[in-house]
Amino acid sequence: MILNRKIQPAYQDIKKINIINPTKIKLENNVVAHFIDAGTQEIVKIDIIFEAGSWLQPKPPIASATNEMLMEGTSNFSSQQIAEKLDYYGAFIQPQPTKDFASLSLFTLKKYLPETIKILEDIIKSPSFPQHELTNYVNKKKQQFIIEMEKVSTIARRAFNEQLFGTNHPYGKNVQLEDYDSLTREALFDFHKKHYIPQNAKIIVTGKIDDSVVQMIDQHFGNKNWETNQEIKNSQNNSPHPLIKEKIIQKKNAKQSAVRIGIRMPTQPHPDFIKLTILNTILGGYFGSRLMKNIREEKGYTYGIGSALISLQNAGLLIIVSEVGANYAKETLAEIFKEINRLKEEKISNEELILVKNYMMGDFLRSFDGPFALSESYRSIIDFDLTPGYFNRAIEAIKTITPEEILQLTNQYLVEENFVTTIAGKYE
Amino acid sequence: MITFEKFTLENRLKIIVHQDTSTPIVAFNLLYNVGSRDEMPNKTGFAHLFEHLMFEGSKNIPSFDTALQMAGGENNAFTNNDITNYYITLPKENIETAFWLESDRMFSLDFSEKKLSIQKKIVIEEYNQRYLNQPYGDASLLLKPLAYKVHPYQWPTIGKDISHIKNATLQDVKDFFLHHYAPNNAILSIAGNVTTDEIKSLAKKWFGPIEKREIFKPKIQKEPQQKEPRFMQVERDVPFDAIYKAYHMSAKNHPDYYVADLISDILSNGKSARLYQKLVKDKQLFSDINAYITGDMDEGLFMVAGKLMKGISMDEGEQAIEHELNKLKNSIVDDAEIEKVKNKYESVFQFAHISALNKAMDLAYQELLGDAEKINHDVKKFRAVTKQDIQRVATNIFHPNNSSTLHYLSKGNS
Repeated sequence: MILNRKIQPAYQDIKKINIINPTKIKLENNVVAHFIDAGTQEIVKIDIIFEAGSWLQPKPPIASATNEMLMEGTSNFSSQQIAEKLDYYGAFIQPQPTKDFASLSLFTLKKYLPETIKILEDIIKSPSFPQHELTNYVNKKKQQFIIEMEKVSTIARRAFNEQLFGTNHPYGKNVQLEDYDSLTREALFDFHKKHYIPQNAKIIVTGKIDDSVVQMIDQHFGNKNWETNQEIKNSQNNSPHPLIKEKIIQKKNAKQSAVRIGIRMPTQPHPDFIKLTILNTILGGYFGSRLMKNIREEKGYTYGIGSALISLQNAGLLIIVSEVGANYAKETLAEIFKEINRLKEEKISNEELILVKNYMMGDFLRSFDGPFALSESYRSIIDFDLTPGYFNRAIEAIKTITPEEILQLTNQYLVEENFVTTIAGKYE
Repeated sequence: MITFEKFTLENRLKIIVHQDTSTPIVAFNLLYNVGSRDEMPNKTGFAHLFEHLMFEGSKNIPSFDTALQMAGGENNAFTNNDITNYYITLPKENIETAFWLESDRMFSLDFSEKKLSIQKKIVIEEYNQRYLNQPYGDASLLLKPLAYKVHPYQWPTIGKDISHIKNATLQDVKDFFLHHYAPNNAILSIAGNVTTDEIKSLAKKWFGPIEKREIFKPKIQKEPQQKEPRFMQVERDVPFDAIYKAYHMSAKNHPDYYVADLISDILSNGKSARLYQKLVKDKQLFSDINAYITGDMDEGLFMVAGKLMKGISMDEGEQAIEHELNKLKNSIVDDAEIEKVKNKYESVFQFAHISALNKAMDLAYQELLGDAEKINHDVKKFRAVTKQDIQRVATNIFHPNNSSTLHYLSKGNS
């Protein structure tokens, strides 16, 4: 038999994705811990997530500084001792400050969990924010900030947030160089006391989980002795802001321009959100997307272009991001809007939609593969107090969405006058 | 222990199978034994440009990506000094699609002037995005030709110069394919819930009919021993001064390679490491500083790279680095410190080998180095390094005559 290389071997559609429900345990102090037993390696990852993002900070960059300075000394150990211990056990703690949350993730071999979880507990409960460490932190951060501001992508991202949200909005207010100098220990202590408290915490544990792991979580983070406080939710100004439609920031000698285009969207709990993720995939969410095909593969204006649908707690947004050859910025903008309009005017072909559906189902499968992917997937629903049923609804939506719905969603949500555009680099 | 089986087809394609029943995804990794070290000095950047063309359709399949996405798959590739590595992850049930796709592009590519000209443009934008339009982005482009005078590691994977990309012709590209892309110059590794029997029959079916080809490898000249310190200074539009130092070190298969890797961990792996604690935190001379090895198959480089704090002179920075490197030569590391870096290596190894894809990639690479089984001895080899080894190898590497130094000055500062 001669092999026919022209015909793709038979493939199956993904029918079922094994969505395991994490075991949810409410600890004595009412902290909820989610346990996901997965993988074959003897490792454990613990995420402790606080509502302590920049949304709640009195002034930038207090939220991120508090989060990152937790590692820099406690009432029991110096910064160096903490680093020595973690390195000795081959463990990592990753602070991650975002707009809404601030988390700490511990990656550890399971055999060393009894030791490493103590360090995690210590830095969360008893930070001492030593002055000399803060001074050092501020000096380093200022240099990093100045270097970052040399990148067209950074310049564009900052301007874009201001254009979309306004400089008084917690999502639109950017940190400035001089803000670092006004950071004080008192501000960090105060922010920590208010927000790094049990009723503000969620825990996700993944890896090799057994009773001993559950017990350790309970012992170190479930205890009523964990000092608490009246929870304070600052009310923030989330009112709509007049958009600044277009901003061009020239940078001398730039070889490329960073392009950023975006629009406000509903947040994740909204019934249309899942379908909008499909629309986003078609537009710029995968390698075969309309934007990649046109602007990279046909025109060669860029090494890469993509779009993302992002849900924060208090706003959603769709952004299109690229760095393009300095002479191509104008053409790229025109092509991006051409692609958006094409989605509004022409129904997507069944062929293309099936491709996107199959790709997204594969992606879904990958996002439930292994302990780290699982905890990241669950994090995305836990942040919004959604239940795992959300994933089943997402799968259902991917399977059933029609070309008509895509057309309708594009017209409803991607309204041209609501887009803001930022270009940093060279633009005539 | 990562268990696997391996076999070789008649056309000399090597195949490694690792069974991991815990995942619904299968990883399919195809390594070609060709990298930028196999390029001609006047035609650099080819291995990487060629990687781009591999996605532009093959003889029987117009779109690689579309066919793969239909089967729920995802893929990418990378090129470095030594290898070009293509990888796919897809639902286990659909593994045959991966065989079909990868075998067709090994069989024959569908080249055209138009495809070549678009990919040249894209690679030029990649060059801009990664190197020329980033602060300090060209440092490695400057340092490599300082450290290497003969060996092809002197040029970066992206190419020595944009003109080499611009001038690439269709004939160049076709030659490159015939010289390097062949079953007898590749290693396929598969990790997932599969059996060796099933992989054997698929491999025979799809790769079996591809004939062996004659491989053309330019003879790589060994870099002669460096006899004196080398130095270069540039001025750029960056906010702070930076120091880059490169020292020649052993090839990947040399026992001292592990020692050098461990030395780089003592200096720079984790926040408790020496360079960070001493030079960033205690003395506050640098805002960041790193030591790392380039990890090449032939004799590679041990790098130290740091950005100076404002107001600190190059001399102060240099002396502080030298002081730390000399300590490794002049005194013995204590037990706790060596134990720490070994523990850390073991733990990083565990974390790095969780996913089927990483296991597949590493198996193929270890096979290229000589034997996939090496994957199970890595940690042991690290454990075996002694304090005396560290002192001996540090003394060899950190000799002034073995150093190339780049002073990267901020225009505003000078």
